[in-house]
Amino acid sequence: MAEKMLGGAGASRTSYQRYPRVRIREMKDDYLKFELRDTDASMANALRRVMLAEVPTIAIDLVEIEVNSSVLNDEFIAHRLGLIPLTSDDAMSMRFSRDCDACDGDGQCEFCSVEFFLSVRCDSDQTLDVTSADLQSTNPRVCPVDVAANALSSAADGYESAEQKGIIIVKLRRGQELRLRAIARKGIGKDHAKWSPAATVTFMYEPQIHINEDLMETLTLEDKRSWVESSPTKVFGIDPNTQQLVVIDAEAYTYDDEVIKKAEAMGKPGLIEIYPKEDSFIFTVESTGAIKASHLVINAIDILKQKLDAVRLQDEESDMKELTSHLGNL
Amino acid sequence: MNAPDRYERFVVPEGTKKVSYERDTKIVNAASFTVEREDHTIGNILRMQLHRDPIVLFAGYKLPHPLQYKIIVRIQTTSQSSPTQAYSQAIDDLDKELDYLKKGFEDEKTRFEEKLRQGY
Repeated sequence: MAEKMLGGAGASRTSYQRYPRVRIREMKDDYLKFELRDTDASMANALRRVMLAEVPTIAIDLVEIEVNSSVLNDEFIAHRLGLIPLTSDDAMSMRFSRDCDACDGDGQCEFCSVEFFLSVRCDSDQTLDVTSADLQSTNPRVCPVDVAANALSSAADGYESAEQKGIIIVKLRRGQELRLRAIARKGIGKDHAKWSPAATVTFMYEPQIHINEDLMETLTLEDKRSWVESSPTKVFGIDPNTQQLVVIDAEAYTYDDEVIKKAEAMGKPGLIEIYPKEDSFIFTVESTGAIKASHLVINAIDILKQKLDAVRLQDEESDMKELTSHLGNL
Repeated sequence: MNAPDRYERFVVPEGTKKVSYERDTKIVNAASFTVEREDHTIGNILRMQLHRDPIVLFAGYKLPHPLQYKIIVRIQTTSQSSPTQAYSQAIDDLDKELDYLKKGFEDEKTRFEEKLRQGY
């Protein structure tokens, strides 16, 4: 009671927290499809934005070229190296070079960087491909993702296919050479897209389809067929036994309104109603391989939490303002 | 050549505050919060959470300019409360929601992995 009489200041207030639910449909290392319910589009979109631009990974950021007699110029090669995805499971616990105090701002210590070496020379008449497999890492936990995947699969089945050659950096002909040192650092997609762990992240509203069964009864089979055909995606079908209209795949609906327009053109407005469920989302997450898709989601939640904590009002500051404003009112 | 450093988009410059708060001079219980180096990600979830609170009469945010890396959140509340309180409450609730979501996701992940294992 006392709390209620006090009104706001200091009293514990009712919470307007939501309790979102998750259901995973499909999960692979680099692909995830899940349902998110009981929250709103702002949260779904915040998660999507964080996954794309603010979950950290490791990528090559600095290249010192010793010898480059290839056909590509130095900066071209440096750029290509930067775009190679590196295994970044340690990125969340790694330091950003700019906040690292172990090294004096040059960002080249073991806490905030990983060193790579590459040294290839072509001595045959055949063109030599320099690939991500030629990059020598000084930290076995950080290496090009295709190299890591091949190490796993070839350990399992013991053969190498033609596709397991790695990501091509440059091609060399006889006598050409490439020798360099590269530094990989932690970063986020907001800084440069090479640090983005996400290939694509999308979400859609779950469609809710209401069929007016009474009105549907008045349609002939022919009418039903042509109505089903009017949808550009395969959302509806006709049961071959009962000749009843059935929803095959509600999520194939692209909110194109074609079936609604068709119903109107047939003189049956209100045959169908489709609306998006505003609190239900279907997410698809594809990772570059730098981190697992499931980790990408978990890391995104953590990052969003950190961001929220950073925008909290500093206590002394708000208290002082509140106090002075009260004194002013007196 | 004279392009600003890329990190200026997300690193709060030294000497500036992440969040500053200014009361409205004309309307009671109204205030603007300037949040440095944040964008729609934070702005929109904060606004929507504030709308869920019946004590809040108005809540909105804007990104004044794409090259000014800050957002402005405006809140007006009833006389029973204050904008600072509503702001802190919204962050607390969002924080708890994310805690719940994280736990829910991790549980679902282990459940799904268990299901896959039994399928083989």
